Amino acid sequence: MKLRAKCLLVGDAAVGKSSLICSDGTLKNYSMTTGVELVVKCINIPETPHSVEFYIFDSAGKEALVDACEKLWGEPSLFCLVFDLTNEQSFVNCGRWLERIRRHCRGFRVPGVLLGNKSDLSGRREVQASVAKEWAQSQGLEYHETSAKEMDSSDAPLLSLARAYYSLYQEDCVAAKNLTLG
Amino acid sequence: MTDSSFSSLDAKVVLASSSDESHPPENIVDGNINTFWMSTGMFPQEFIIRFPEPTTISALTVDSYNVKKLKIEKNISQSASQFESVTEKEFESTEGHLQTNAISLNPGSATHLRFIITSGYDHFVSVHKVSIKK
Ligand SMILES: Nc1nc2c(ncn2[C@@H]2O[C@H](COP(=O)(O)OP(=O)(O)O)[C@@H](O)[C@H]2O)c(=O)[nH]1
Ligand SMILES: [Mg+2]
Repeated sequence: MKLRAKCLLVGDAAVGKSSLICSDGTLKNYSMTTGVELVVKCINIPETPHSVEFYIFDSAGKEALVDACEKLWGEPSLFCLVFDLTNEQSFVNCGRWLERIRRHCRGFRVPGVLLGNKSDLSGRREVQASVAKEWAQSQGLEYHETSAKEMDSSDAPLLSLARAYYSLYQEDCVAAKNLTLG
Repeated sequence: MTDSSFSSLDAKVVLASSSDESHPPENIVDGNINTFWMSTGMFPQEFIIRFPEPTTISALTVDSYNVKKLKIEKNISQSASQFESVTEKEFESTEGHLQTNAISLNPGSATHLRFIITSGYDHFVSVHKVSIKK
Protein backbone atom coordinates (compact mmCIF):
# COMPACT_ATOMS: atom_id res chain seq x y z
CA MET A 1 0.00 0.00 0.00
CA LYS A 2 1.17 3.51 -0.77
CA LEU A 3 0.27 6.48 1.42
CA ARG A 4 0.51 10.00 0.03
CA ALA A 5 1.72 12.96 2.02
CA LYS A 6 2.07 16.64 1.36
CA CYS A 7 5.31 17.63 3.06
CA LEU A 8 6.37 21.25 3.55
CA LEU A 9 10.11 21.94 3.41
CA VAL A 10 10.68 25.22 5.19
CA GLY A 11 13.45 27.36 6.67
CA ASP A 12 15.61 30.40 5.88
CA ALA A 13 17.12 30.85 2.44
CA ALA A 14 20.45 29.05 1.85
CA VAL A 15 20.22 26.62 4.81
CA GLY A 16 20.34 23.73 2.33
CA LYS A 17 16.72 22.70 1.80
CA SER A 18 16.97 22.13 -1.95
CA SER A 19 20.35 20.41 -1.67
CA LEU A 20 19.00 18.01 0.95
CA ILE A 21 16.07 16.95 -1.13
CA CYS A 22 17.83 16.63 -4.46
CA SER A 23 17.94 12.90 -4.91
CA ASP A 24 21.49 12.24 -6.11
CA GLY A 25 23.02 13.85 -3.02
CA THR A 26 25.42 16.04 -4.99
CA LEU A 27 25.56 19.72 -4.24
CA LYS A 28 24.18 21.93 -6.95
CA ASN A 29 25.69 25.33 -7.55
CA TYR A 30 24.11 27.90 -5.32
CA SER A 31 20.85 29.14 -6.76
CA MET A 32 18.18 30.97 -4.86
CA THR A 33 14.91 29.07 -5.09
CA THR A 34 12.15 31.23 -6.43
CA GLY A 35 8.76 30.51 -4.95
CA VAL A 36 8.01 26.82 -4.45
CA GLU A 37 9.33 23.70 -6.14
CA LEU A 38 7.61 20.34 -5.99
CA VAL A 39 9.75 17.22 -5.56
CA VAL A 40 8.24 13.74 -5.38
CA LYS A 41 10.05 11.10 -3.34
CA CYS A 42 8.99 7.62 -2.32
CA ILE A 43 10.17 6.09 0.96
CA ASN A 44 9.66 2.42 1.86
CA ILE A 45 8.85 1.61 5.45
CA PRO A 46 11.26 -1.18 6.44
CA GLU A 47 9.78 -4.54 7.40
CA THR A 48 6.43 -3.66 5.89
CA PRO A 49 5.15 -3.85 2.31
CA HIS A 50 4.13 -0.18 2.64
CA SER A 51 5.56 3.08 1.39
CA VAL A 52 4.90 6.79 1.60
CA GLU A 53 5.00 9.01 -1.45
CA PHE A 54 6.13 12.47 -0.38
CA TYR A 55 5.00 15.50 -2.34
CA ILE A 56 7.65 17.86 -1.04
CA PHE A 57 6.93 21.57 -1.34
CA ASP A 58 10.35 23.22 -1.24
CA SER A 59 9.85 26.90 -0.37
CA ALA A 60 12.46 29.54 -1.12
CA GLY A 61 12.60 30.94 2.40
CA LYS A 62 13.17 34.45 1.12
CA GLU A 63 11.17 36.94 3.14
CA ALA A 64 9.88 38.69 0.01
CA LEU A 65 8.44 35.43 -1.35
CA VAL A 66 6.86 34.13 1.84
CA ASP A 67 3.33 35.30 1.05
CA ALA A 68 3.43 33.70 -2.39
CA CYS A 69 4.79 30.44 -0.94
CA GLU A 70 2.23 30.29 1.83
CA LYS A 71 -0.57 30.13 -0.72
CA LEU A 72 0.66 26.64 -1.58
CA TRP A 73 1.03 25.48 2.00
CA GLY A 74 -2.62 24.51 2.58
CA GLU A 75 -3.43 21.22 4.31
CA PRO A 76 0.05 19.80 4.93
CA SER A 77 0.42 16.20 6.10
CA LEU A 78 4.02 16.54 7.32
CA PHE A 79 6.82 19.08 7.46
CA CYS A 80 10.61 19.45 7.61
CA LEU A 81 11.90 22.62 9.24
CA VAL A 82 15.55 23.22 8.33
CA PHE A 83 18.25 25.50 9.75
CA ASP A 84 21.98 25.83 9.13
CA LEU A 85 24.16 24.64 12.03
CA THR A 86 26.76 27.24 11.06
CA ASN A 87 24.27 30.13 11.20
CA GLU A 88 22.64 30.83 14.55
CA GLN A 89 20.12 33.29 13.13
CA SER A 90 18.65 30.55 10.91
CA PHE A 91 17.96 28.56 14.11
CA VAL A 92 16.43 31.56 15.92
CA ASN A 93 14.09 32.07 12.95
CA CYS A 94 12.69 28.54 13.25
CA GLY A 95 10.13 29.73 15.78
CA ARG A 96 8.62 32.07 13.22
CA TRP A 97 8.63 29.42 10.51
CA LEU A 98 6.90 27.00 12.84
CA GLU A 99 4.15 29.54 13.62
CA ARG A 100 3.58 30.00 9.91
CA ILE A 101 3.37 26.25 9.32
CA ARG A 102 0.95 25.74 12.19
CA ARG A 103 -1.47 28.28 10.75
CA HIS A 104 -2.04 25.82 7.89
CA CYS A 105 -2.52 22.67 9.98
CA ARG A 106 -6.24 23.15 10.82
CA GLY A 107 -5.85 21.42 14.17
CA PHE A 108 -4.74 18.16 12.48
CA ARG A 109 -1.88 16.19 13.96
CA VAL A 110 0.94 17.07 11.55
CA PRO A 111 4.20 15.27 12.37
CA GLY A 112 7.31 17.38 11.82
CA VAL A 113 11.10 17.15 12.04
CA LEU A 114 13.70 19.80 12.81
CA LEU A 115 16.86 19.43 10.72
CA GLY A 116 20.19 20.98 11.65
CA ASN A 117 21.97 20.93 8.28
CA LYS A 118 25.62 21.30 7.15
CA SER A 119 26.89 19.01 9.91
CA ASP A 120 30.01 18.43 7.75
CA LEU A 121 31.19 21.99 8.55
CA SER A 122 31.93 21.06 12.16
CA GLY A 123 34.55 23.79 12.63
CA ARG A 124 31.99 26.49 11.93
CA ARG A 125 29.19 25.18 14.11
CA GLU A 126 27.21 27.92 15.91
CA VAL A 127 24.30 25.86 17.25
CA GLN A 128 24.90 23.09 19.78
CA ALA A 129 23.04 19.81 19.27
CA SER A 130 21.72 19.82 22.83
CA VAL A 131 20.14 23.28 22.42
CA ALA A 132 18.49 22.39 19.11
CA LYS A 133 17.29 19.07 20.45
CA GLU A 134 15.74 20.61 23.54
CA TRP A 135 13.87 23.19 21.51
CA ALA A 136 12.68 20.52 19.04
CA GLN A 137 11.36 18.39 21.88
CA SER A 138 9.54 21.33 23.44
CA GLN A 139 7.78 21.78 20.09
CA GLY A 140 6.97 18.11 19.60
CA LEU A 141 9.48 17.68 16.76
CA GLU A 142 12.07 15.01 16.20
CA TYR A 143 15.62 16.40 15.77
CA HIS A 144 18.13 15.20 13.16
CA GLU A 145 21.48 16.55 12.03
CA THR A 146 22.10 16.25 8.31
CA SER A 147 24.57 17.05 5.61
CA ALA A 148 23.66 17.38 1.99
CA LYS A 149 27.21 16.14 1.27
CA GLU A 150 26.49 12.74 2.77
CA MET A 151 24.36 10.56 0.55
CA ASP A 152 21.92 8.96 2.94
CA SER A 153 21.52 11.56 5.62
CA SER A 154 18.37 13.04 4.16
CA ASP A 155 16.52 9.73 4.16
CA ALA A 156 16.58 9.26 7.94
CA PRO A 157 14.31 12.26 8.64
CA LEU A 158 11.92 11.28 5.84
CA LEU A 159 11.82 7.75 7.15
CA SER A 160 10.85 8.93 10.61
CA LEU A 161 8.13 11.12 9.09
CA ALA A 162 6.93 8.17 6.99
CA ARG A 163 6.67 6.03 10.12
CA ALA A 164 4.76 8.72 12.02
CA TYR A 165 2.36 9.18 9.11
CA TYR A 166 1.83 5.44 8.78
CA SER A 167 0.90 5.16 12.44
CA LEU A 168 -1.65 7.97 12.05
CA TYR A 169 -3.10 5.96 9.17
CA GLN A 170 -3.29 2.82 11.26
CA GLU A 171 -5.01 4.72 14.08
CA ASP A 172 -7.58 6.08 11.65
CA CYS A 173 -8.25 2.58 10.28
CA VAL A 174 -8.87 1.31 13.80
CA ALA A 175 -11.17 4.27 14.50
CA ALA A 176 -13.12 3.57 11.30
CA LYS A 177 -13.53 -0.09 12.30
CA ASN A 178 -14.93 0.80 15.69
CA LEU A 179 -17.57 3.30 14.62
CA THR A 180 -21.14 3.04 15.80
CA LEU A 181 -24.20 4.03 13.80
CA GLY A 182 -24.93 7.76 13.66
CA MET B 1 -34.53 2.42 5.92
CA THR B 2 -36.24 1.20 2.78
CA ASP B 3 -33.46 2.24 0.43
CA SER B 4 -32.22 -0.52 -1.79
CA SER B 5 -28.49 -0.92 -1.45
CA PHE B 6 -26.10 -0.78 -4.33
CA SER B 7 -25.11 -4.40 -4.03
CA SER B 8 -28.60 -5.57 -4.95
CA LEU B 9 -28.32 -3.32 -8.01
CA ASP B 10 -25.09 -4.95 -9.09
CA ALA B 11 -23.25 -1.63 -9.16
CA LYS B 12 -19.45 -1.58 -9.30
CA VAL B 13 -16.73 0.82 -8.25
CA VAL B 14 -14.72 1.31 -11.45
CA LEU B 15 -12.15 3.80 -10.17
CA ALA B 16 -10.81 4.96 -6.83
CA SER B 17 -7.97 7.38 -6.12
CA SER B 18 -6.68 5.34 -3.19
CA SER B 19 -6.21 1.64 -2.69
CA ASP B 20 -5.33 -0.22 0.45
CA GLU B 21 -5.97 -3.92 -0.18
CA SER B 22 -7.28 -4.24 3.36
CA HIS B 23 -9.91 -1.56 2.71
CA PRO B 24 -10.72 -1.75 -1.01
CA PRO B 25 -13.26 0.44 -2.81
CA GLU B 26 -15.64 -2.51 -3.34
CA ASN B 27 -16.47 -2.10 0.34
CA ILE B 28 -18.46 1.02 -0.58
CA VAL B 29 -21.05 -1.00 -2.51
CA ASP B 30 -21.15 -4.26 -0.54
CA GLY B 31 -24.12 -3.01 1.48
CA ASN B 32 -22.25 -3.47 4.76
CA ILE B 33 -21.47 -0.45 6.92
CA ASN B 34 -18.81 -2.37 8.82
CA THR B 35 -16.55 -2.59 5.79
CA PHE B 36 -15.11 0.56 4.26
CA TRP B 37 -12.83 2.14 1.70
CA MET B 38 -10.05 4.18 3.24
CA SER B 39 -8.35 7.10 1.53
CA THR B 40 -4.57 6.94 1.78
CA GLY B 41 -3.68 10.61 2.04
CA MET B 42 -4.11 14.06 0.50
CA PHE B 43 -7.14 15.61 -1.15
CA PRO B 44 -9.02 15.52 -3.45
CA GLN B 45 -9.99 11.85 -3.34
CA GLU B 46 -12.53 10.27 -5.63
CA PHE B 47 -14.36 7.13 -6.61
CA ILE B 48 -16.67 6.32 -9.51
CA ILE B 49 -19.61 3.90 -9.36
CA ARG B 50 -21.04 2.26 -12.47
CA PHE B 51 -24.54 0.83 -12.94
CA PRO B 52 -25.12 -1.93 -15.47
CA GLU B 53 -27.77 0.22 -17.15
CA PRO B 54 -29.08 3.79 -16.91
CA THR B 55 -30.68 4.08 -13.50
CA THR B 56 -33.03 6.72 -12.15
CA ILE B 57 -31.93 8.03 -8.80
CA SER B 58 -33.94 10.38 -6.61
CA ALA B 59 -31.80 10.24 -3.48
CA LEU B 60 -28.56 8.89 -2.04
CA THR B 61 -27.32 8.05 1.41
CA VAL B 62 -23.64 8.19 2.23
CA ASP B 63 -22.19 6.59 5.37
CA SER B 64 -18.70 7.92 5.98
CA TYR B 65 -16.20 9.17 8.54
CA ASN B 66 -14.22 12.43 8.56
CA VAL B 67 -15.52 13.53 5.15
CA LYS B 68 -15.92 17.32 5.05
CA LYS B 69 -16.72 18.40 1.49
CA LEU B 70 -18.18 16.11 -1.13
CA LYS B 71 -19.02 16.85 -4.77
CA ILE B 72 -21.20 14.48 -6.76
CA GLU B 73 -21.22 14.25 -10.54
CA LYS B 74 -22.95 11.90 -12.98
CA ASN B 75 -23.13 10.87 -16.60
CA ILE B 76 -25.27 8.65 -18.81
CA SER B 77 -22.42 7.44 -20.98
CA GLN B 78 -20.85 3.99 -21.30
CA SER B 79 -17.45 5.37 -20.35
CA ALA B 80 -16.40 7.02 -17.10
CA SER B 81 -15.85 10.46 -18.59
CA GLN B 82 -17.65 13.73 -19.33
CA PHE B 83 -19.39 14.19 -16.04
CA GLU B 84 -21.89 16.87 -15.16
CA SER B 85 -22.12 18.36 -11.72
CA VAL B 86 -25.01 17.14 -9.55
CA THR B 87 -24.52 18.60 -6.09
CA GLU B 88 -22.00 19.72 -3.50
CA LYS B 89 -22.33 19.04 0.25
CA GLU B 90 -20.50 19.86 3.46
CA PHE B 91 -20.90 17.15 6.11
CA GLU B 92 -20.72 17.78 9.84
CA SER B 93 -17.92 16.15 11.74
CA THR B 94 -18.76 13.28 14.09
CA GLU B 95 -16.78 11.70 16.90
CA GLY B 96 -16.79 7.91 17.17
CA HIS B 97 -19.86 7.36 15.03
CA LEU B 98 -20.66 7.33 11.32
CA GLN B 99 -21.64 10.37 9.33
CA THR B 100 -24.94 9.39 7.75
CA ASN B 101 -26.15 11.87 5.17
CA ALA B 102 -29.16 11.68 2.89
CA ILE B 103 -28.81 13.69 -0.30
CA SER B 104 -31.78 14.28 -2.56
CA LEU B 105 -31.11 14.70 -6.26
CA ASN B 106 -33.05 16.16 -9.14
CA PRO B 107 -34.54 13.00 -10.61
CA GLY B 108 -32.66 11.84 -13.65
CA SER B 109 -30.92 8.89 -15.17
CA ALA B 110 -27.27 7.97 -14.59
CA THR B 111 -24.87 5.20 -15.56
CA HIS B 112 -21.94 6.55 -13.53
CA LEU B 113 -21.80 8.51 -10.30
CA ARG B 114 -18.57 10.24 -9.40
CA PHE B 115 -17.85 11.19 -5.78
CA ILE B 116 -15.11 13.73 -5.19
CA ILE B 117 -14.04 14.36 -1.61
CA THR B 118 -12.36 17.75 -1.65
CA SER B 119 -11.58 18.01 2.05
CA GLY B 120 -11.73 16.08 5.30
CA TYR B 121 -11.67 16.46 9.07
CA ASP B 122 -8.54 14.31 9.23
CA HIS B 123 -5.71 13.23 6.90
CA PHE B 124 -7.62 10.05 6.06
CA VAL B 125 -11.32 9.53 5.48
CA SER B 126 -13.45 6.41 5.10
CA VAL B 127 -16.58 5.68 3.07
CA HIS B 128 -18.57 2.75 4.42
CA LYS B 129 -21.66 2.59 2.26
CA VAL B 130 -23.46 4.41 -0.51
CA SER B 131 -27.08 3.51 -1.17
CA ILE B 132 -29.69 4.93 -3.50
CA LYS B 133 -33.40 5.47 -3.69
CA LYS B 134 -34.91 5.19 -7.16
N1 LIG C 1 28.98 22.18 3.31
C1 LIG C 1 27.68 22.09 3.07
N2 LIG C 1 27.08 22.94 2.22
C2 LIG C 1 25.76 22.81 1.99
C3 LIG C 1 24.98 21.80 2.62
N3 LIG C 1 23.69 21.92 2.21
C4 LIG C 1 23.67 22.95 1.36
N4 LIG C 1 24.90 23.50 1.20
C5 LIG C 1 25.24 24.66 0.39
O1 LIG C 1 24.50 25.77 0.88
C6 LIG C 1 24.05 26.59 -0.19
C7 LIG C 1 22.55 26.77 -0.17
O2 LIG C 1 21.91 25.53 -0.45
P1 LIG C 1 20.42 25.42 -1.00
O3 LIG C 1 20.08 23.99 -1.07
O4 LIG C 1 20.25 26.22 -2.24
O5 LIG C 1 19.61 26.13 0.18
P2 LIG C 1 18.05 26.49 0.26
O6 LIG C 1 17.92 27.93 -0.12
O7 LIG C 1 17.66 26.26 1.69
O8 LIG C 1 17.33 25.57 -0.66
C8 LIG C 1 24.57 25.94 -1.45
O9 LIG C 1 25.78 26.58 -1.81
C9 LIG C 1 24.84 24.51 -1.05
O10 LIG C 1 25.87 23.94 -1.81
C10 LIG C 1 25.64 20.90 3.53
O11 LIG C 1 25.06 20.02 4.14
N5 LIG C 1 27.00 21.10 3.72
MG1 LIG D 1 16.11 26.04 -2.16
